[in-house]
Amino acid sequence: MRLPRIFRTTPFRLTLLFLALFASAASAFLAYIYVATAGEATRRTDQEITREMQSLVAAYDRAGIDAVNQSLIERAASERPFLYLLMSSEHKRISGSIEESPVEKFTGPPTWTTFSVTDVDTQGRTVKHPARGLQEKLAGGEILFVGADVGEDEAYVDKIIHALQGAGALVVVLGLAGGVLMSRNVSRSMAGVTEVLDAVRNGDLAARAHVRGTSDEFDELALGLNEMLDRLERSMAGHKHAGDAIAHDLRSPLTRLRARLETASMDVDAGKGDPTKALAQALEDTDGVLKTFGAVLSIARLQAAGAAPDPQLFDPSELAADISELYEPLCEDKGIDFAAEFAKDLQVRGNREFLAQALANILDNAVKYTPEGGAIMLRVRRRSSGEVEFSVTDTGPGVPDDDRERVVQRFVRLENSRNQPGAGLGLSLVAAVAEAHGGRLELDEGPGKVGEMGPGLRVALILPRAA
Amino acid sequence: MRILIVEDDLEAAEAMDRGLSEAGNACTRAADGEEGLAAARDGEFDVMIVDRMMPKMDGVTLIETIRREGDQTPVLFLSALGEVGDRVAGLQAGGDDYLVKPYAFAELIARVEALARRRETGSVQTLLRVGELEMDLIGRTVHRQGKEIDLQPREFQLLEFMMRHAGQSVTRTMLLEKVWEYHFDPQTNVIDVHISRLRSKIDKGFDRAMLQTVRGAGYRLDA
Repeated sequence: MRLPRIFRTTPFRLTLLFLALFASAASAFLAYIYVATAGEATRRTDQEITREMQSLVAAYDRAGIDAVNQSLIERAASERPFLYLLMSSEHKRISGSIEESPVEKFTGPPTWTTFSVTDVDTQGRTVKHPARGLQEKLAGGEILFVGADVGEDEAYVDKIIHALQGAGALVVVLGLAGGVLMSRNVSRSMAGVTEVLDAVRNGDLAARAHVRGTSDEFDELALGLNEMLDRLERSMAGHKHAGDAIAHDLRSPLTRLRARLETASMDVDAGKGDPTKALAQALEDTDGVLKTFGAVLSIARLQAAGAAPDPQLFDPSELAADISELYEPLCEDKGIDFAAEFAKDLQVRGNREFLAQALANILDNAVKYTPEGGAIMLRVRRRSSGEVEFSVTDTGPGVPDDDRERVVQRFVRLENSRNQPGAGLGLSLVAAVAEAHGGRLELDEGPGKVGEMGPGLRVALILPRAA
Repeated sequence: MRILIVEDDLEAAEAMDRGLSEAGNACTRAADGEEGLAAARDGEFDVMIVDRMMPKMDGVTLIETIRREGDQTPVLFLSALGEVGDRVAGLQAGGDDYLVKPYAFAELIARVEALARRRETGSVQTLLRVGELEMDLIGRTVHRQGKEIDLQPREFQLLEFMMRHAGQSVTRTMLLEKVWEYHFDPQTNVIDVHISRLRSKIDKGFDRAMLQTVRGAGYRLDA
């Protein structure tokens, strides 16, 4: 059997839990009230009976049975609410306000008992009142019973019990009503989110949850959902763009390759010489295609995974020193001044291999575009925000302001770099690595124009503070 | 050398067989994992080339099986899976080297030769000698014709690798993988520059160049 939806909601279940807790607390509280009021009334009656008994026993000890008898007669006339019975040692009634003792055993220690007395109310009806009494054996073997009509006490206790029952019911009703209201409210707040989920499930990626501006958890949830959908949409668009870009970037070299092989094959058929050169070219073309393909694959995997695989904690300066050791001779060979500056005691969490490759890509680019006599600087430092920054500054031609965003995108190569080798994926991969580590890639102008050179480029790979 | 090729792509296996046979090796081919396992149990090989993904039994299972049976033949994994994790999984299963498809043939030959050579030099060496060149692995010194050559630590590692594979072609990718321990392809000729530095130290001023460039493949250190 399925419960109605409202009973299955989390808020309602929570409400029930709270209700249970609240009810137990309330029961404890009500029980205390019961003991403190109704219990107190009973105790007080018992004390009064005991005191009366003591005063009568004292009179007996002082002046014997007659004095007690006398007292009882006197007291019966007064408005005392006590019930008395005095019996001889042969258990014959001597005097008192009740006819026979409610305690049947006449020997032994003082005995408490609960019984009922018959009374006539104002309308002349016979009513029974609950009563309570104490029976004691006097020194001479006579039996004395002192009791009290506790009808009023009992009525009082009954009232308290009724009140407590009412209060308990009120707790349950109010708690349930509150729970229903609360879960309704929460359900209403969730409805928007649920609708968006349904829409997305049905393929509408553009659906967004309404943010009410109340800055509560529901707004946070809606905001989080929207942000997630934004990312998802961007990523899907990215994949589509990647597909187009792969087609574009692989199609042209493959076309070239095919043409080359076809020409060579025709030349051989025509008996026109040696295809060796064409084959060597074709091999080179193939390697180019494979390199592009490899880079595209790495980027796609990083983006699909959304996080760097096998992250480790390590010193970024150590990694940078390692990479600069690899690149420094290359710079020197090209007549480029290479400088490095590494901050101490830094830590990042990430995939060493991917970060090494990202740094190598940035340096590859810098070396490629920096002319002889230029300079490259590799720095690792901690930003004031706590982030760790790897930066490579060169004195190459730089990238115009408007193009910086574009260079990072896949496959984009600026027009004036078409004559340089490389698939144009270098910085895209760096950006993918940065993103997979929760970081980012920043491009800035380098040191500015110096003679023929400049203005240069500053590429910064920024990683979040290692948690 | 006797080489077992376990590869389900028959054309690729054929090309490997031809190339390796031309280089003077005797090749045996198996077209899937089970066939490969039977061949490995039957014959004695110097190197096995094993594709990772094959029908019936994949390469990793195959190698795990023969390693459990005590077969220590060096294994080169071939795979279209080139992520670091895939590589580690292959090496943990008992592979000795890992080559990602597609590869240049020169790369394959160089790696197969390197694997076979490694088996020959089982004992721990303290002194490497290639012709006139002597490397003291404990004192970290290098001499040629008795003359000490001063090397940077990385140059030392590079030369050590070249000396351990003297007479064989080693590729740039192998050097980057084994000496620098990076598994990516740089867009620039970083390795060439390191080699030319090393070359200027060990060959300059001597009558004969030992460190040779092998066209289309990489480098070779000759005695």
